[in-house]
Amino acid sequence: MGEFKVHRVRFFDYMPSGIRALAFNRDIERIAVARMDGSVEVFHCSDRFFQEKIIPGREQCGIEGLSWVGERLFSAGLNGGITEYDLTNQKVKYTVDAYGGPIWTIAGNQQGTHLAVGCEDGTVKLFEVNEDKIQFERNLDRQKSRIISLSWHPSGSKIAAGMMDMIQIFNVETGHSVHRLLADRGVGTSRSKECVVWSVVYLSDGTIISGDSVGMVKLWDDQTGTLIKSHNVTKCDVLALSVSQNEDSLVAGTSEGTVVQFQFISMVLGKDDKEWVRTRTFKNHTHDIRAVAEITTAVVSGGMDAQLVVRPLLDKVEVRSAASALRKIHFPHRRLVSCARKSGLMLFQYPGHLELWRLGESEGKGMPGSSLFVKRNPEKLLHLKVKGEDHIRCSAVSPCGEWIVYSTASSLRLYRLHCDNNNVSITKISKLPMVLSSANQLCFSSDSSHLFSASTQSSVHLVSLSQSGCKFVGTLKPKSGERTIGFGVLHIIEDGKWLASANSDHEVHIYNLQTRKAHCTVPVYSSAVTAMGIHPTTNCLFMMYADQQMCEYSIEQKQYTDWSRMVQRKGLHRFWMERDTPCLNVMFNPQHPSHVILHDTYMLCIIDQSLPLPDDKTQFYNQLTLKSLPEEQRKSHSHAFKVCKTFKDILCVELMSDQSLVVVERPLEDVASQLPAPIKQKKFAT
Amino acid sequence: MSEIQIESSDDELPEEVAFDASKSAALKSVKDVLEAAKREKNSLKEKRKKRQQLFQEQKKRKRLPQELLEEFDKEPQKQTGPSDNKGIYKKVSKTKPSDNKGNNKTPNLLLYLYTLFSVGQYQMTNNSLTDKTKTGTTAKKISKSLPDSYRVTRIKDESAAKSLQQKAVDFIQSRLYGPGTIRTTNAELLSLRKKRGVNQGAAVGFLNKKLGASQKARIARSNKRFIRQQKLIPL
Repeated sequence: MGEFKVHRVRFFDYMPSGIRALAFNRDIERIAVARMDGSVEVFHCSDRFFQEKIIPGREQCGIEGLSWVGERLFSAGLNGGITEYDLTNQKVKYTVDAYGGPIWTIAGNQQGTHLAVGCEDGTVKLFEVNEDKIQFERNLDRQKSRIISLSWHPSGSKIAAGMMDMIQIFNVETGHSVHRLLADRGVGTSRSKECVVWSVVYLSDGTIISGDSVGMVKLWDDQTGTLIKSHNVTKCDVLALSVSQNEDSLVAGTSEGTVVQFQFISMVLGKDDKEWVRTRTFKNHTHDIRAVAEITTAVVSGGMDAQLVVRPLLDKVEVRSAASALRKIHFPHRRLVSCARKSGLMLFQYPGHLELWRLGESEGKGMPGSSLFVKRNPEKLLHLKVKGEDHIRCSAVSPCGEWIVYSTASSLRLYRLHCDNNNVSITKISKLPMVLSSANQLCFSSDSSHLFSASTQSSVHLVSLSQSGCKFVGTLKPKSGERTIGFGVLHIIEDGKWLASANSDHEVHIYNLQTRKAHCTVPVYSSAVTAMGIHPTTNCLFMMYADQQMCEYSIEQKQYTDWSRMVQRKGLHRFWMERDTPCLNVMFNPQHPSHVILHDTYMLCIIDQSLPLPDDKTQFYNQLTLKSLPEEQRKSHSHAFKVCKTFKDILCVELMSDQSLVVVERPLEDVASQLPAPIKQKKFAT
Repeated sequence: MSEIQIESSDDELPEEVAFDASKSAALKSVKDVLEAAKREKNSLKEKRKKRQQLFQEQKKRKRLPQELLEEFDKEPQKQTGPSDNKGIYKKVSKTKPSDNKGNNKTPNLLLYLYTLFSVGQYQMTNNSLTDKTKTGTTAKKISKSLPDSYRVTRIKDESAAKSLQQKAVDFIQSRLYGPGTIRTTNAELLSLRKKRGVNQGAAVGFLNKKLGASQKARIARSNKRFIRQQKLIPL
């Protein structure tokens, strides 16, 4: 059944980068996350927080703030420019320089007409949001110290700006400062340091809430300009604040890694006098929390430990389901490792470079679970640095191991690899066709003769590769009459005759490679496709979705297969549906045609389509039980899902052509040991 | 009673004082005074001299090296093209106006330097160019005899925006990780978690070989060097 030699790979030193800013868009239910390396990711909140879009960053790009205006996403950073993103094509649309020095914060008003940015030189600049661009309108009064945080009053008439040691309230029409609220500096040695007001929130009843570097959350009144109440939340800084839509709940993120919630309730049950009371504390992070977002049903927080934590607020959740569990997102929902199945090579994609490794060899046989003697260690063949400042968006290595291709936001490069026993050399293919300027996804054909690149128009370009170079062959477009507005293509998989591509609008198109025409389209499902695979013999497309559903579609008959209909009828087991990480790869085993191999971050699973499906009462993780039963009874008790949980923190699983499995793990302790320094916390009995 | 005593002292004859003694005493006192005055004058003179010397030395130290001055005197109008000016721009740095110690040489020097650098787009502070050259960060290859420790950078290459961004990054870094913050290491955090966790174990420094590998390698190398130096192991 499933006896494999497993290469356990731990030399992929992937470091996720810390989260700097969060922005929630209520209308389209997306949350945008900005990271320290300049990349922006968009997660879909109602689709199990699947990472829909990734816009890669560049060197020397420090994003400090994100803001949604309608459906458009803007960011501002320390390089002094405001950037708008093209979310359909997953790239930067344009950058406008604000000419105020480094920008510390960006905020859009509720009406969606203006953007305010706070700059290093002490000015708050107002930009008008037009149809296609933003335009500078005017400056508010210039202040002496830098503007660290901004918040619009919901009516759009006033702005509260948090600066060093004080908060200023501006009247937007006149541009003058109306009130100046002074923040205390703190006691002891911190009296000599200025107090930085890291974030402010302006409520509609005129209360201003501020979090500062002394560790206080303070409530101010804007009519009189005085302090109403101050709460001492922590001994280090309060770095982020976020208030909910109906202004009855506020969350504050601190440097220690705790998220504190305040709620606007009355102290005595039944009475009407409400005030802000500190209610809950969440301790889900180990390092500084740089951004929080209150999305009514949950609290999303992210910080320097590079994980996005979604904590549902159980008093707002009606039904207790898989969607209401604590969710931690560590790794991207994309594949960063590609394998050359025939030649035993692996390509690791880092933001700024690529590494090519050859797998080691072992000898001897062993019992299941034991480790074999390693005859030859894995060796690093190639370290390829990216030219230019952009980060790599996608990369691929051909199955024979002779071609390497990678794409950034602005360029695409193709290399030919010559690998003798000891010498490795690469040559760059310089004359590339014009269509290959940048790609969202790249894929090689299984005989390494063609390269498929997904472009911005939901179509796939086909390029043939040979000794002399590469030549543009054709473009595969969806049937005319269907929408061909540019959607970023997310997945391409190919199987000799057929090519399937899924785009970010949840459409899956299947193309016939011999005629180079669109063949059919899979019915659209409400959830996004996370992994696809085409069976080599039965030509069925197997798809895994973000809500853990699975589907099998027969390409020749243009309809779902019987097995797939049976799965839909019976439903999947509760434990399968409760998994919180998406499946990233679907593979087939040539020796066992009815097997499908899947993996997600915490498990490896083989689905045997010839065995019965488990219903809710059967034991799902039954591998150990089956081992203890005698041979004859095993057949009656086994079901289709065989789950192996030996490997943790899996980034990629591939089946090589010599029937060995490669499992690339990235242990979270290794990631944690290379993060920035955390705050020292005194724990009892240490 | 007192009258009698006074009277008695008054009745007595005045003492005989020789004329010579008093004359010599008087002369001596005059001489003393004169000498004291002279000594004072001399000492003041010495002090002034020393001061003057000190100033001279400071002046000498602040001036450009002799060779450079000679070069300037010889060729006042050498470069006029922008391509030539590449090598002779000087870095801008903050200087206080009070640093300008008046010296009759420096105005001429400044004049020469201004004419040399007149073609080109850069900023210069109006004084104490001499200070900057002495710190060794300026004036390369105006002539081939310049020492190699001098370095010239173009003002244009360092745009103001880049340094502002760097300052902003430094501000955040110092507020979050600088002095005044209580930070610990990741190894300690992980070790404490192991100590208080469900499956208690040793600190990560002992279990994880990769942690601090570079420091361990450096210590091993220095140990080897020490043993070799002290010849602790007989060859």
